[in-house]
Amino acid sequence: MTKLENYTKYVMAILTGLIVAALYTPIFLTIFYSFYKTRKGKVDWTSFSYEPYTKLIFEKQILESLMNSIYVGVVTVICSVVIGFYFANYYHTSKSKMKEFLQFIIFLPFLLPPIITGLSLLIFFREINLPRSLNTVVIGHTIFVLAIVFKIILNKLETLKPSLMESAYDLGASKFQAFWYVLLPNIKLSLIIAGLLAFTISLDETLITLFLIGNDTTWPIKLWAKMRVGFSKQVNASVTLILILTSFLVLLIASIISRSEKKITY
Amino acid sequence: MWNLIPVLEQYLKMRQLVNYFRTSIWTLIRFVLVISLILIPLGSFLSYSFFTVDGTDIIHEFSLFNYQEFLTGEIYIKTFIRTILLALTVMFICILLGYPVAYFLARYAGKYKYSILLMLIIPLFMSYIIKIYMMRSILGFSGLINKVLKMLGVIEKPLEFFLWNQNAVIITLVVILLPLIIIPTFTSLEKIPKNIIEASFDLGCKPFQAFRYVIFPIGLPGLIVGSIFVFILALGDFVTPQLVGGTSGFTYGKIIYSNFGMAFNWPFGAALASILLIVSVIIILFTNRLTEKSKT
Repeated sequence: MTKLENYTKYVMAILTGLIVAALYTPIFLTIFYSFYKTRKGKVDWTSFSYEPYTKLIFEKQILESLMNSIYVGVVTVICSVVIGFYFANYYHTSKSKMKEFLQFIIFLPFLLPPIITGLSLLIFFREINLPRSLNTVVIGHTIFVLAIVFKIILNKLETLKPSLMESAYDLGASKFQAFWYVLLPNIKLSLIIAGLLAFTISLDETLITLFLIGNDTTWPIKLWAKMRVGFSKQVNASVTLILILTSFLVLLIASIISRSEKKITY
Repeated sequence: MWNLIPVLEQYLKMRQLVNYFRTSIWTLIRFVLVISLILIPLGSFLSYSFFTVDGTDIIHEFSLFNYQEFLTGEIYIKTFIRTILLALTVMFICILLGYPVAYFLARYAGKYKYSILLMLIIPLFMSYIIKIYMMRSILGFSGLINKVLKMLGVIEKPLEFFLWNQNAVIITLVVILLPLIIIPTFTSLEKIPKNIIEASFDLGCKPFQAFRYVIFPIGLPGLIVGSIFVFILALGDFVTPQLVGGTSGFTYGKIIYSNFGMAFNWPFGAALASILLIVSVIIILFTNRLTEKSKT
């Protein structure tokens, strides 16, 4: 290794450190402000308290928006995994030329700016007289995450040998049996990863939701509304709790992926 | 006994017919799902761009009024071009900062590379609104940056150019979108086997030449994908400019959004968004060809 290369290596290491720090500063500040008070721009170091967390129970609006977000997330996961599996399986088994076209369409909402997906669904729902509600948000989120779910499941299906399903059929399994006892156990992990990822994305989706939400609020929309008046400590506390939840979900996904990579797949 | 054969044939034909029917029903379901949930909404929004508005009623008649408005109202084209430049700036800053990080992780970070990568991925899933809100308090007049600079003695008075303008929008978008460029670049750089790099050195490459002719071309597809993601998301964002941009930092996305809110001119908003859609589709198709080319 030359001296120059060594030098650039250290510069890049420092840059990496700085960028990690920059990405986490906003997050740490939020956690910090949920515990400490500030007065005239100065931190009051004696003001540490858990109180905002216990007070959170009385914040009906925040809790309601959290529950709405979880409802939207769960339904989105169910819809997107079922539809995503269906299309991935079709794409994997079909020889039709239309499948490329279908894949392109599925990827569109993911590739286009979210504002376009949001407003096109808004206009569509108005034209078919579907009032905006949490369920329209679910449709928006499902369409948005479908591409990712589809891709994860498809990647897994492509690692399976065709002989797997063929032998199941040869041994006399019906279509359903082959799916339930052979295919499903083999792709189970990819379905879980896809579902967790869909949930994590849905929990924080803001740009599409802003168009599709009616009178209800999901959690990011509540934050958006609260932002104009400034955040109370309870809001910061709720943010901290959600941050813990999302980091847990991402770590869970990562550990499942790394564990499933070590396993031998057939 | 022989009479059974035609019956059997008949039966098989029936089975075939039923099977055929079944597959065509599934095909129908597939297309109905995709078309009704993705294509029809896109189509209805495109057709809305040709409608006009009268008070709170939308007149469902074909007209090119909205597009004329876009072309004649100087402010729209100006904002559009400014927003494209803004998105390009964000993209280039992300490349400048993200590429070295991805490169470092792929080549030098050794066994820590996945842990560091994970640390860079987690913020991507953390509340978008919160990041913007906190960036506001970091960039603000009495924010973190000004405090640190003051403490270090670099400045005497707090600087004002961080918040309520384009710079604030750019900085905030970079912080939000940076992981998007690091991840794909890392994945394609990571695929480069060590012996290829060693071979290039053996063949007499200087480090820079090895980078320029061996490493960079292999890592390019990932970099392109990441850059396009950043560019398109920065182009269509309307929340960030609304929250940190102030009056001078408004973008094209914000104009579109305001037509669906206060201004209540859905057809005009749809027309503005159609132009955004066309530009995005061109960029996506172009990138697709570019990555296909660089793969071969």
